[in-house]
Amino acid sequence: MLFGSVEEVERALAHESYLPDRGLATAIFLALAMRRPLLLEGEAGVGKTEVGKTLARVVDAELIRLQCYEGIDASQALYEWDYARQLLYARALQAGEIEPDKRVAELYGAEFLVERPLLRAIRSGAGAVLLIDELDRADDEFEAFLLEVLSDFSVTVPELGTIAAEKPPAVVITSNRTRELHDALKRRCLYHWIDFPDLNREVAIIRLRAPAVSEGLARSVAQAVAQLRGLDLVKLPGAAEAIDWAQALAHLGVESADGESARETLGWVIKNREDLSRVEPLLPELLRD
Amino acid sequence: MTDGVGVLTAFGRALREEGVPVGTGRIASFCRAAALLSPEDLYWAGRATLLGRREQIPVYDRVFSAFFGGEEALVAPPPRPSPVVIEEELALASPIELLRQKSFARCSRDELEQLAALLAQLRLTVPRRRTRRMTPARSGVPDLRRTLRRSFRTGGEPLERRFRARRRRRRRLVLVLDVSGSMADYSRALLVFAHAALRADRRWEAFCFGTRLTRVTRALDVSRPDEALERAAEEVVDWNGGTRIGECLKQLLDEYGHRGLVRGAVVVLCSDGLEIGDPALLAEQMARLSRLAYRVIWLNPLKGDEAYEPLARGMQASLPYVDVFQAGHNLASLEELGVELSSLDP
Repeated sequence: MLFGSVEEVERALAHESYLPDRGLATAIFLALAMRRPLLLEGEAGVGKTEVGKTLARVVDAELIRLQCYEGIDASQALYEWDYARQLLYARALQAGEIEPDKRVAELYGAEFLVERPLLRAIRSGAGAVLLIDELDRADDEFEAFLLEVLSDFSVTVPELGTIAAEKPPAVVITSNRTRELHDALKRRCLYHWIDFPDLNREVAIIRLRAPAVSEGLARSVAQAVAQLRGLDLVKLPGAAEAIDWAQALAHLGVESADGESARETLGWVIKNREDLSRVEPLLPELLRD
Repeated sequence: MTDGVGVLTAFGRALREEGVPVGTGRIASFCRAAALLSPEDLYWAGRATLLGRREQIPVYDRVFSAFFGGEEALVAPPPRPSPVVIEEELALASPIELLRQKSFARCSRDELEQLAALLAQLRLTVPRRRTRRMTPARSGVPDLRRTLRRSFRTGGEPLERRFRARRRRRRRLVLVLDVSGSMADYSRALLVFAHAALRADRRWEAFCFGTRLTRVTRALDVSRPDEALERAAEEVVDWNGGTRIGECLKQLLDEYGHRGLVRGAVVVLCSDGLEIGDPALLAEQMARLSRLAYRVIWLNPLKGDEAYEPLARGMQASLPYVDVFQAGHNLASLEELGVELSSLDP
């Protein structure tokens, strides 16, 4: 699961259709070598979540994803008892169908424990990549709880005992910065800000992700998207939007992002009405060069 | 290697000098990371281990090139503006009832201090919304966990049934205060109001604006009102200047709004609406704001005058997007705001 060098990380990710820049590849290499969680921030659509997914494929591990949302708590992230089954079982106990001395132990047996992503990741250990997506959406209390889990990768279920990971899983945390994460959590993590890719890398990303798109079309889309990012838009288009747009244009059978077809497919890159009305009049100018 | 550690530690300390909170733990990680990588990747080793937020990247770049690139002298931080001083007026202490009705503009410094004490008692009841978190309730969906626990008391028979429901949580309150020249008479009192209001809930936010927007939430986060005001005054660079409401709102929405700070919140704008920028831009931003926020409340001290009509272009452009339009020029009207807010709860 360990890589020998940063170049190896770059190659392995590229093989799985993800083109990281040097900084990201270094951060991933270090996260794996130092066994530390990797915290990724960046604009929406630059491929933060994709890093976790690709990493799981690269190291051939199970991807365990914990999608955060406001109000998420330990019973949804760690474990919960299957109360309905316990209830039925308790009824069966009353009917005397189970030996009395085993009763309590069985009622809290492993088969009644509903495993949630964090517990599953701890049990899988090094055989898993744990992706904690959009942590900024969860509230403060959950972050403090997560910090505890991430620092020693062991969980105590009072009825069952302590479950610990022999080797901690690789952890990727993403955040959209809707709020600032706590410093305590950040200190545990390696940090990387994913920027928009430069022109050449964007062309390569489009070509890799959408093989049906020709080199010329990919380049013209990447150029147009780079121009759009220079405008003062509410929502800047990410790599994901560039790929979608290129694919849409390829389906229409055009060879470059200009003219009527670009205008018709603009909704693939610009997803905000104010932005659309700003971009549309500028479009001929933007696409000329 | 010992020597290398010395250099890397010195670099970490240089970064700390520039205000990046680099602890010993981070420096230790940096050294480990550097040992794992080739020297060309030292830049990335530091970025991944020493930093924790995007804003630190430019500082890091600067310190890195100065430290390892041999460049000279780091730029000194810009000088701080001096805190505002409100003119002292001669006035006698008034009874509380008079003070409640007296316009902030005509209050003396002493009266403002008294007001601060009264404002601190003002409790704003902000509308609530349902969250995803469940809490025990008298009715709602069955709470199997508690029902089961209870059933053990009755020999496994679930006699007593328990329920749970979605928790309701106060919405965020975002105060956006105009501190430009035309509002000078009111800005001090409004800041005291903001300071008092923010103490009710730590997720609430306050911003000041004139020609640009400044977040003062952190500055106001101290217990004494005058200290809070001083700290806020240090952060706001455009006291008593012009008003570019449209541009400042745009800044608010671009930098904080779409990241979730304004979404579903109750936004209270305090301004006289005397816009020197483009009213069309203001209207556009107000439209954006009203779509993101739960309710938009505009407090205009001029409205305290009964003859006032919202004729200013900025005010006219904004009104279609305002849910509640009130005065907010004295304590009584701020209390009214409290009533208004609680009536928004469905």
